Amino acid sequence: MGTTVPTAPTRPRTLVVASAFGTGSVIMYFGGLFALYFSIRADALAWGTQWYPEGAIQLVPGGMNMATMAMSAITMGWAVHSVLNDDRVHLMIAMALTAVLGIAMVNQTVFYFVDIGLPIDTSEAATLLFTIVGSHLVMVAIGVLWLGMLLLRTLGGQDTSRHRDLVSAAALYWYAAVAVYSVIWIGIYIAK
Amino acid sequence: MTTTDTAAASDSSPTALEEAVTSTDPTTLSKVWGFGSGALILLGSIAGLLVGLERLDLGSANVFDGADGMFQFWSAHRVALVLLGVLPGLMALATTIVPRQCGGSLMFPRAAALGCWIWLIGAGMTLVGFLADGGLGTPGGGGQRQATALTVMGLLLVIAGLLVASVSVMTTIVSGRAAGTGLRDLSFTAWTTLVAATIWTGMLPVLAANAVLAYVDLRGRPAIRFGAEDAIWEQLSWMFTHPAIYVLALPVLGIALDVVATTTRTVQANRDFLLVATVAFGFLSFGAFAQTFFDTPGTPIREEALSVVAAFAIVPVALAILGGLADTLRRGGSNLGSKPPAETVLLILAALLVVAGTAVGALHVIAPLDLLDTAVGGANFTFVVGAGILGVGAGLHHWVDELTGPEGHRDGLILLGGLAIASGIVLSGMTDLISGLLDQTDFTGVTLAAAGNPKSGVDALNLVSMIGSFAVVGGLATWMLAGGLVTAANRTSGGGERGGS
Repeated sequence: MGTTVPTAPTRPRTLVVASAFGTGSVIMYFGGLFALYFSIRADALAWGTQWYPEGAIQLVPGGMNMATMAMSAITMGWAVHSVLNDDRVHLMIAMALTAVLGIAMVNQTVFYFVDIGLPIDTSEAATLLFTIVGSHLVMVAIGVLWLGMLLLRTLGGQDTSRHRDLVSAAALYWYAAVAVYSVIWIGIYIAK
Repeated sequence: MTTTDTAAASDSSPTALEEAVTSTDPTTLSKVWGFGSGALILLGSIAGLLVGLERLDLGSANVFDGADGMFQFWSAHRVALVLLGVLPGLMALATTIVPRQCGGSLMFPRAAALGCWIWLIGAGMTLVGFLADGGLGTPGGGGQRQATALTVMGLLLVIAGLLVASVSVMTTIVSGRAAGTGLRDLSFTAWTTLVAATIWTGMLPVLAANAVLAYVDLRGRPAIRFGAEDAIWEQLSWMFTHPAIYVLALPVLGIALDVVATTTRTVQANRDFLLVATVAFGFLSFGAFAQTFFDTPGTPIREEALSVVAAFAIVPVALAILGGLADTLRRGGSNLGSKPPAETVLLILAALLVVAGTAVGALHVIAPLDLLDTAVGGANFTFVVGAGILGVGAGLHHWVDELTGPEGHRDGLILLGGLAIASGIVLSGMTDLISGLLDQTDFTGVTLAAAGNPKSGVDALNLVSMIGSFAVVGGLATWMLAGGLVTAANRTSGGGERGGS
């Protein structure tokens, strides 16, 4: 008779499930804003109204931010891979890099919006632009705070392959932040 | 630590308030949700009653100082019943009963407590905003901008609180149920709560997006468009009309299916069919797309095929669920005896009101009748949200042992209050329906012209509607009294003391 080795109990991944529901809510929030933005923009263009003043929205800052967010998605994936392999050093480096890239994105956006020369009260387009981009900045800032707390946990040795749910949950949220920014980049910065 | 310190620490037992604020016990949270939502439903109904009083004499402004004041109370009535009343009332059951039905405990109880208190603080801010001449804008632009901003901010907190609590409940059902329990094995209350909470987490963030946009445009300078006084309500109004309000009725149908099966001691037949029907009901309740404020000129969203088909499709779905309920009653009705439990009676009435509400909603979108801006919309709201109120009250009464304790049940008061509410809803809903068919507008303002057709003869109907509002307020006050008595009886006897924190 062979020895029966009890399998490790499967833990319900409550943190990941909750994060998925929460992130879904955030995506619906941006979905609502994007729907309004594209609907009002389509109406304005159909009536021949100018949406943004010529040259007001530049491609370079948006493109730089997109590149930054894309890199942060890769470093976040690195963090998930590291926690699965119990590689604590790489996990910390990856999460710190992700947070730094998030801070860089916030910094670039704030710098650009101070310099943009498009006051928030000039038009519906400007109000929508500031609301959408501002909301995304809040989303990224929350992600950076989350990563900061995860770093502290990792320093305490609490994020391991058996206790990786918080990292997975944060990754899910961060990928959503990147996905939302990609819509902003294409819909606002490129399509104008 | 000295001996004196130890003695002092042991003497300072927490007060009821300290216990409530610091507790993460779902039972305590459900009391906050339950009594908070009950009080706010009562206040919202009183606001509706005052509007009804003003409508009695549309030639003059006797209660309010003008159309703006009346509009604030009219919109407060709807906001209070939906976001401050029925939805949080359902959360009282969702945080306590649903986890037990799933065989587990509430996931993230601290987050659920945070959500509860954020909601309560937001509800307070919203209420103060309405009372301080703010609200969600006014047609004449005569409100206080700061108070309007306070109302919008309060509404955002309300939404945040409800979302956090919803995520906690959904995670409990999906991930925290007992091992071996599949989603198909869930009770109807838990199942419909899961479906409804999924729809809430899809719709409430869109409402938050509308509110944030209005707030950003409202603050600090003349509004461009979204924060204009006369535009805020219309941007948010989709949440307070069909199809979005139907999602309030969904958990009520689930509660009705469970309670009737329990009290008739009958196993629900066609279970899988009903599970699918409730999902279809939830799917057809998604209303975030129906934002009339952003209509493209010439193609109003309420006349689009999607809106019309959804409004009609939900009627047979509601009838199918009612059929399931009727089948259980047919097979087990004899077990109810000569005095059926109050909650069974009230939940059957609630299910009938849901079906009536969906039928009125279908009537509302028939283009040749041109009823979109008429009081038929108000009748639809009254039936559906009224069903929600009845369902929440009946559900809380059915599970009162688990919520407050076994002492001091007030079956008679609950039945009396519930019947008063149900009759009030029928009176108000039916008269609003007839008034709407006679061209009275949904928001009547304070002038005959704004009420629609001046010769439509709706004065008598408005009087009957107001009598219905009186009955609803009376029934709600009776329920609050019964709830207070039961809680007090259990606190005195210690029946309400439960372990856990």
